[in-house]
Amino acid sequence: MTSAPVLQISDLRKSFGSEEVLKGVNLTVQRGEVVVLLGSSGSGKSTFLRCINRLEEPTSGSITLNGNSVTASNANLRTLRKQIGMVFQSFNLYPHLTALKNITLALRLSLGQTRQAAEEQAKHMLAQVGLAEKAHAHPSELSGGQQQRVAIARALALEPQVMLFDEPTSALDPELVGSVLEVIRLLRQRHMTMVIVTHELGFAREAADRIIMMDKGEIVEEGPPEQLFTAPKHPRTREFLKHFTGR
Amino acid sequence: MFLENFFDINAIIYTYPLLLDGFLLTVKLVAVIVPAGIALGTILALIYALGGWFTKAGFILYVDTFRSLPPLVLLVFIFYGLPFLGIQLGSFASAVLALVLNGSSYYAEIVRAGIVAIPKGQWDAGRATGLTRFQTIVYIVLPQAVRNVVGPLLGNTLELTKATSICSVVALPEFLRTAQIAQSHVYNPTPLVFVALVYLILLWPLARLVSRLERGIATH
Ligand SMILES: Nc1ncnc2c1ncn2[C@@H]1O[C@H](COP(=O)(O)OP(=O)(O)OP(=O)(O)O)[C@@H](O)[C@H]1O
Ligand SMILES: [Mg+2]
Repeated sequence: MTSAPVLQISDLRKSFGSEEVLKGVNLTVQRGEVVVLLGSSGSGKSTFLRCINRLEEPTSGSITLNGNSVTASNANLRTLRKQIGMVFQSFNLYPHLTALKNITLALRLSLGQTRQAAEEQAKHMLAQVGLAEKAHAHPSELSGGQQQRVAIARALALEPQVMLFDEPTSALDPELVGSVLEVIRLLRQRHMTMVIVTHELGFAREAADRIIMMDKGEIVEEGPPEQLFTAPKHPRTREFLKHFTGR
Repeated sequence: MFLENFFDINAIIYTYPLLLDGFLLTVKLVAVIVPAGIALGTILALIYALGGWFTKAGFILYVDTFRSLPPLVLLVFIFYGLPFLGIQLGSFASAVLALVLNGSSYYAEIVRAGIVAIPKGQWDAGRATGLTRFQTIVYIVLPQAVRNVVGPLLGNTLELTKATSICSVVALPEFLRTAQIAQSHVYNPTPLVFVALVYLILLWPLARLVSRLERGIATH
């Protein structure tokens, strides 16, 4: 693997009021790398992802994307955000728009594409996630798994440098989880750089290049999946794995 | 005997041209005030949603002020009071100003409530894909917000339409005013009864629609 970090995060801190939620997080993500972030509820995983594209304003620390500062006060946030795809637990599709329009909106407004180019691109993206025939369906007419795949297509359409997934399957019925994970596997095969928060440990083990264990706003352990799953060092990691694998 | 007094068809035939002029002026008032009120109200709600605490405070001051002032008091002040400050507005302009100030304050509050009820995730999705806050609110948040408050918006439109009848106090020859003039011509309340009936027949369907929409939202 070449050592060209896509994301470089150092000493990232975030407080909500007097509560410090991120306590100096460091993370470097290489091009094509898949990093899975584990941690119990409230450990700061979502806050961490949301700081990366500054949906949440970090209190201090620095983040760079391909060498460009995200945290600089004069950073061009719109440009940077187009390069950071984000997928939310609750999909956050626009309910008043069709699947196609959910995707074309940012293509037209953020990238300035023509209507025709945007629609072509959107149809292409929908086909990639296996929903070509749902272009004109509204989100309410789609299953949760289909909605999440549209949301992934929406983020991918902007051709981001990195994709952030915040528990993409947590809101789904168990039988729909597979279809979404399948899309993420496909992205992995295409060497998409990804940071994924998930509680799907089987998937994490299979798909991650590296696993990060977060606890109370700090990274307490990290390493390749085999090492982390078979020989966890930190007590919190052991506890977490025990809880989630039910052993 | 009763009918002759309260509904003498000849009185209507005799005063018909006058009443028609009044009716058309009321339509004209509504056609100006309602779109202007909705536009101003929406702009104010957008400013509220996009602005900082200072603009939010300004919004609250505006909305509270013009929702507290009875529209009749506002109109009388504008028409009879402002000239003392050197601002002289005609009766039509005064009527439009008073009712746009009043109507927009209600529309603004309705649209604002609609906007803040939209889940934060919708803003996140817009901003995460590189949209500005303004684009996010215009293309994503506002369309959903308006859809959710169609009932209250129509309800306020109904109120505003009825409120145009207060413009008779500044001698604006709208529907009610022409009915009063007509009455004095024919010495008979028939024109007033006629105006009331026209209001009832034209606005009843709107009132029904408002009720149905509000019930629809309640059961949603
Ligand atoms: N907007 C906010 N305002 C105040 N506190 C917040 C806010 N967002 C998150 N927090 C707090 O920050 C802490 C970390 O929350 P975060 O959502 O990042 O955790 P998480 O690891 O994603 O948890 P989960 O697994 O439940 O999603 C929590 O204590 C939470 O209450
Ligand atoms: Mg979370």
